Amino acid sequence: MIDYKKKLAPLSLQTKSIFSGHPIAIAGLIGFVMFVLIALLAPWIAPQNPYDLMVLDIMDGLLPPLSKLGNGTTSWLGTDAVGRDILSAVMYGLRLSLFVAFIATTVGSLIGVFLGLLAAVKGGWVESVIMRAVDLKVSFPGILLALMMLAIFGTGVDKIIYALIIGVWASKARLTRSSALSEMQKEYIDAARISAIPNWRIMLKFLLPNSIAPVLVMIPMSLSGCIGAEATLSFLGVGVPITEPSLGLLIANGNDYLLSGKWWISIFPGVVLVSLVLCINVVADRIREHNNPFLKSMNMQ
Amino acid sequence: MNNTPLLKINNLTVTYPLNSEGSDVLKALDNTSLKVNSGQIIGIVGESGAGKSTIGKAILGLLDPPAKLVSGEIIFLGNSLVGLSEAQFESLRGNQIGYIYQNPMTALNPVLTIGEQVIEAIEANTDMRGKNAREYAIQLLERADVSFAEDRLQKYPHQLSGGLCQRIVFAIAIAAKPKLIIADEPTTALDVTVQQSVLQTLIKLSQQEQIAIILITHDIGVIAETCDYVYVLRYGKHVEQDATNRVLQRPTQDYTRSLMASVPLIEKRLHRFALNEEDNLEDISTGLHYLQEKQTTQDSTNKPILEARNLSKIFITPSSLFKAKQLFTAVKDVSFTVRRGETVGIVGESGSGKSTIGRMILGLEDITEGSVIYRGKDLKLITDSTEHRAHCLSMQCIFQDPYSSLNPRMTAGENITYGLQVHKMIGSSDAKSLAQELMALVGLQREDAEKLPHAFSGGERQRIGIARALSYRPDFIFCDEPTSALDVSVQANLLNLLKDLQEKFSLTLLFVSHDLAVIRQMCDRVIVMKEGEALEYDSNENIFERPKHKYTRSLLEAMPKFKGLAQT
Repeated sequence: MIDYKKKLAPLSLQTKSIFSGHPIAIAGLIGFVMFVLIALLAPWIAPQNPYDLMVLDIMDGLLPPLSKLGNGTTSWLGTDAVGRDILSAVMYGLRLSLFVAFIATTVGSLIGVFLGLLAAVKGGWVESVIMRAVDLKVSFPGILLALMMLAIFGTGVDKIIYALIIGVWASKARLTRSSALSEMQKEYIDAARISAIPNWRIMLKFLLPNSIAPVLVMIPMSLSGCIGAEATLSFLGVGVPITEPSLGLLIANGNDYLLSGKWWISIFPGVVLVSLVLCINVVADRIREHNNPFLKSMNMQ
Repeated sequence: MNNTPLLKINNLTVTYPLNSEGSDVLKALDNTSLKVNSGQIIGIVGESGAGKSTIGKAILGLLDPPAKLVSGEIIFLGNSLVGLSEAQFESLRGNQIGYIYQNPMTALNPVLTIGEQVIEAIEANTDMRGKNAREYAIQLLERADVSFAEDRLQKYPHQLSGGLCQRIVFAIAIAAKPKLIIADEPTTALDVTVQQSVLQTLIKLSQQEQIAIILITHDIGVIAETCDYVYVLRYGKHVEQDATNRVLQRPTQDYTRSLMASVPLIEKRLHRFALNEEDNLEDISTGLHYLQEKQTTQDSTNKPILEARNLSKIFITPSSLFKAKQLFTAVKDVSFTVRRGETVGIVGESGSGKSTIGRMILGLEDITEGSVIYRGKDLKLITDSTEHRAHCLSMQCIFQDPYSSLNPRMTAGENITYGLQVHKMIGSSDAKSLAQELMALVGLQREDAEKLPHAFSGGERQRIGIARALSYRPDFIFCDEPTSALDVSVQANLLNLLKDLQEKFSLTLLFVSHDLAVIRQMCDRVIVMKEGEALEYDSNENIFERPKHKYTRSLLEAMPKFKGLAQT
């Protein structure tokens, strides 16, 4: 009769059904995969190692796109003040931006999901402490909190990852808790309780698989949020060190030259940053829409 | 005019697409015909998925896409209703055909007073305005047997009981003097004592106002009480139709007969339900052996296995900035004993505290006062954690809602044996075979132990729940309305299974239900509860044949009278 399997499939992350018939989402996914590949392969495909001061030549400084460099190669996207090839710098910057965002999102989500589950299972003062901490965190603007963190602990790639993790965990904890609480009302949890199954097993085997769906849907959005936040912090000069420029720092570097007509130093990293975030958001929107029956039915009409 | 029926449905077929291309369809209604004369109450009865509600929706043009009316005609007062525009349907709905929903609480708008809602319906469908409309509203409420009608106009839905709300829905439905009312499970959400009087009101309205009523229900008792004529549906197909008494007592079709045999009777206690089913407990030696192994070690004295002494439960809503501390007494001083191998039933309406008792016994709720003596020991006083756990594990539960009582991310087999494995009571290879044996024991396929819960129907999931409870070789099982979410034929099968298992393994059950007839069939002794108090505690025969308390008597009188199949 009714195929319950089809009807009740709880979380559909099957790539095929998410993306088929949605060309914009497919384009976003392809774009995202391309950016990730470029980031991973940067040391091998970039024309120049922008971190290696030995290969930089101050004489190549501030050349516009498509100029010939002193060593005979072409700089497709131009160079910055110290003669760094913008294309290479963007590739390496992308690498750093994605790395920071991936680590922060993953670790932040893990912490958030764990604390959310713990709050739901334990209740009482454990729940109160965790949830008040969440309230405290979300009552500050994220970027302000990160600025404060970095002002106190100093800058550096590790420090910015910590700052971003603090931005990520709270919303995940809150979401996990609310969806785990609704699972806690169900009778299979009672069944586990009367069978004296320990709390940590209830968390991992019962609650986690059944309440993780909304968090998974949120992760791509967190990722793009982290990329944006890292770029902002680096642009403001409190993020990554000047020796290892991320996209945000590259934009900041070119900022001073914008008014003197040297547009390429800021614009190219900016375009990459915007397209990367756009790609992820398009994919994230599609996944969210796919998992929200309400949005789906609105689309059908 | 007398010869032409008020409403006539000919060969109606409604389909739902099962895939996006629409090549595969589910026929919610398959070539169904029906006829209603004015002033007549007809019943449409069937189990879930029979297409009962689809008929009601099709008449009013309320089929939600992607449902599609494929063929057939609906003729109301000589006009076809198929293919009317939304505007034409709107002038029909409420005005000529009323609709009564299952849940009165959601049918009424919670932010408007009763008066505003009744008057709105009057103004939308008649010329009456202002004072006239208000007076007419009071009249309508009185006709629908709403007491203190004038005061009630000021109230909001949440201030009134479900029964009253349903009467107000009736009043709104008759505001425009419709010719026909479609009542979709109008009393399913109500308690049995309320159901009775609400049905009386419905019958009265039909007679006084000459309104024809199509009563859609799964409850054979309700049909027996109210309808002159009944249609039996199954999977959208017409099965049988005739005068109610004939269909209910001397059905000609096999399906109707087995449906009637599934209805639990209140008059007499049967050994099991007379269903055509093969006995599936025969060849399952391993499962049987596993469960019987323990039995031999049990002492066979007739001592009570469980004793509840003066149990009380008070729920406390802690005080907050806006509200003082609130106390709610769910259970008041209830004592009873359960002997090995017997079934004790707790019956009562919603909110009577019957489930709370079981949850206290199982340790899911704290006991406010009193004690539970289990196998001769007060569980609260056992300090040794291993011993405490052993006692707890030997008390199991069969839950109410089959759709939430299994972990959806574990296979049926894992659901059954997960706890045993956690407590190292069984190895992982044994667990697999035990799960299969237990699946077979409760009448499921062994190989289905590999499937996830959503591949099973509600009745099958309840069986998995039973297998899970049995896996601990329990001494005591608390059954918390185990069949209230199931269709009547599935319920009969499941109750038969429980009876068989109880016989084979001398299980001890505490059986909670709101359904007197189910309690009558299942239990040896019965506790009648109301608002947390045990009013009567006696043997099955005494409660049902010689009830002492007047509340018990009123419950029994309120039960819809269905005598069962005629003896042949």
